[in-house]
Amino acid sequence: MKNKFNFLLLDFAISSIFRRGSKNIFIFFVFTLLIFLLSSVLFISNSIKSELDTTLNALPDITVQRLQAGRAINIPTSRINKLLAIDGVKAVIPRVWGYYYFANAGVNFSVVGIDKFDDQYKDLYAKLCDKFDFDKLQDKKSMIVGKGVQKILKSNFYNGYFNFIKPDGSLEKLTIAGVFSDDTKLESNDVILLPMEKARDIFGMSKNEAVDFVIKVPNPVEIPNIAKKIRLLYPDCRVITKEDLSISYQNIFDYKSGLFLALFIISAFTFFMIIYDKASGISSDEKKEIGILKAVGWTIDDVLKEKFYEAFVISFISFITALSLAIFYVYFLNAPLLKNIFIGYSSLKPEFDLPFAFDFQTFAIIFFLTVPIYIAATIIPSWKTASLNADEVMR
Amino acid sequence: MMIELKNVTKEFKVGTHDKITALKNVNIHIKKGEVVLLKGPSGSGKSTILSLIAALNKPTSGEVIVDGKRVSKMADNFTSLFRREHIGFIFQKFNLIPTLSAKENVIVPLIPSNPDQEKLNNRLRELFGQFSIKSKMNVIVKNLSGGEQQRVAIARALINNPRIIIADEPTANLDEKLSLEFIKIMRNLKNSNSSIVIASHDPLFFNLDFIDRQIDIHNGAII
Repeated sequence: MKNKFNFLLLDFAISSIFRRGSKNIFIFFVFTLLIFLLSSVLFISNSIKSELDTTLNALPDITVQRLQAGRAINIPTSRINKLLAIDGVKAVIPRVWGYYYFANAGVNFSVVGIDKFDDQYKDLYAKLCDKFDFDKLQDKKSMIVGKGVQKILKSNFYNGYFNFIKPDGSLEKLTIAGVFSDDTKLESNDVILLPMEKARDIFGMSKNEAVDFVIKVPNPVEIPNIAKKIRLLYPDCRVITKEDLSISYQNIFDYKSGLFLALFIISAFTFFMIIYDKASGISSDEKKEIGILKAVGWTIDDVLKEKFYEAFVISFISFITALSLAIFYVYFLNAPLLKNIFIGYSSLKPEFDLPFAFDFQTFAIIFFLTVPIYIAATIIPSWKTASLNADEVMR
Repeated sequence: MMIELKNVTKEFKVGTHDKITALKNVNIHIKKGEVVLLKGPSGSGKSTILSLIAALNKPTSGEVIVDGKRVSKMADNFTSLFRREHIGFIFQKFNLIPTLSAKENVIVPLIPSNPDQEKLNNRLRELFGQFSIKSKMNVIVKNLSGGEQQRVAIARALINNPRIIIADEPTANLDEKLSLEFIKIMRNLKNSNSSIVIASHDPLFFNLDFIDRQIDIHNGAII
């Protein structure tokens, strides 16, 4: 049984950790903090990225806005027929949406009007809701709200309904027919979905107007060509393709995560310097101990194996502790402070919870960025000492 | 022949340019089971000879052959294995790991070879009994007296049943009573058929009945 695992060596390594308790406790705390920060950032980034992917998938093929003096203004619905006449266009959907400021809570709700007869919207929103009674919207006195909106309304004593104030000062009472699911919290959290007619009333828009048009093009290859045709047909319109929007969303995300990454690298580097300094600064006692071990018959390999166990035990326990703390911090506490760096500090946006988006790749990245580096930082100075003559080291 | 030093010279670098010669053309032959005392004042080169025999260091020139193996030419990992299997070294300052217990210190040489736990425990009981420190097995060595620490060091040197026992100034840190006790232990070890090399300038060792031969060393050379 020569090949059985050497528990005596592991036991010796663990006893070494305890024998140098104060130094190792310091390393444990610093290392745990470092991994915790790294994990938290990656978890938040993953959650937002998964939200972003959902958003990008749901983007319209082409969006058409009318501009005046560089600002978007309402677009007449009379243009729909001409747009439908373009080859390759399957549908043109007028959208009515905007922001409603709820002064009591000091927040903006994103109000979106939908046409109940429109199947495209029906399928999309039906997928995104936990409990959704689409037919209830037919009474034209109901709405679907995001989780954040529901929470804010409840805290302001609006249980199951809300009174919108229209531009003429009159009230429009709508009941809640459904609440969006957790899957798309980042985008649906502040959303109120209501019948298009009601949305027009609340925004004071006429029946012949829409905020913009969404154009459905079944063949993605035709999108750039159709976009060009629309620009020629209506020079006062801005035509935005799915790809333009996708790049824009991605840029915002990359910019924010890039900024954070730069800050993070600086702090991580500082932490690593501390760790390396602590780990590499072998004390005279430790050097002498290595000398004694070699003098009594330990090979360099034996010394390195023992140091590996020591470093692995410390770094792996730190890793597991930090990872558990990060999961708790991000998914249970909702990442206070760090989350804002990614999503911005807007006080008007309702709160939302980060959806759980954890994959093995993230786990592996965190592991390989931390544990092996710490082990190497510990083993290299030990190897240097162990390579010397035992006689020399013990002196 | 168990130990052979052939024309061994050892120089140590001092600073960047200077060097001191610790041994000059030393020739020593020690037979199996022989007990040899290396005598001489401090700094005469006794400890250097011991560390060359134990392959803790390498000669600048010459050869060191121990139990038929040319240890002066061995690679580092092989010298460690050689020490583990053949050498029991009792150091002048004991060189115990102060934060480990007596028992843990004694088993340190065997840890890499992953010995059978039962056999190891039997050997520990035997050694601790032999040196009357059974009750101190689990005491952290820094809390033991000098004499007890030395007995732990001897037990560690003997844990692997070595064919060669080396003791470097073993009584330098002991009072006379403990020194006599150490001599008693060495006398008993002679019966183990191991070769024993003791380096000391302590007069207590001179003319002891169990010492087969004394070698006088001065300024790195045998007189």
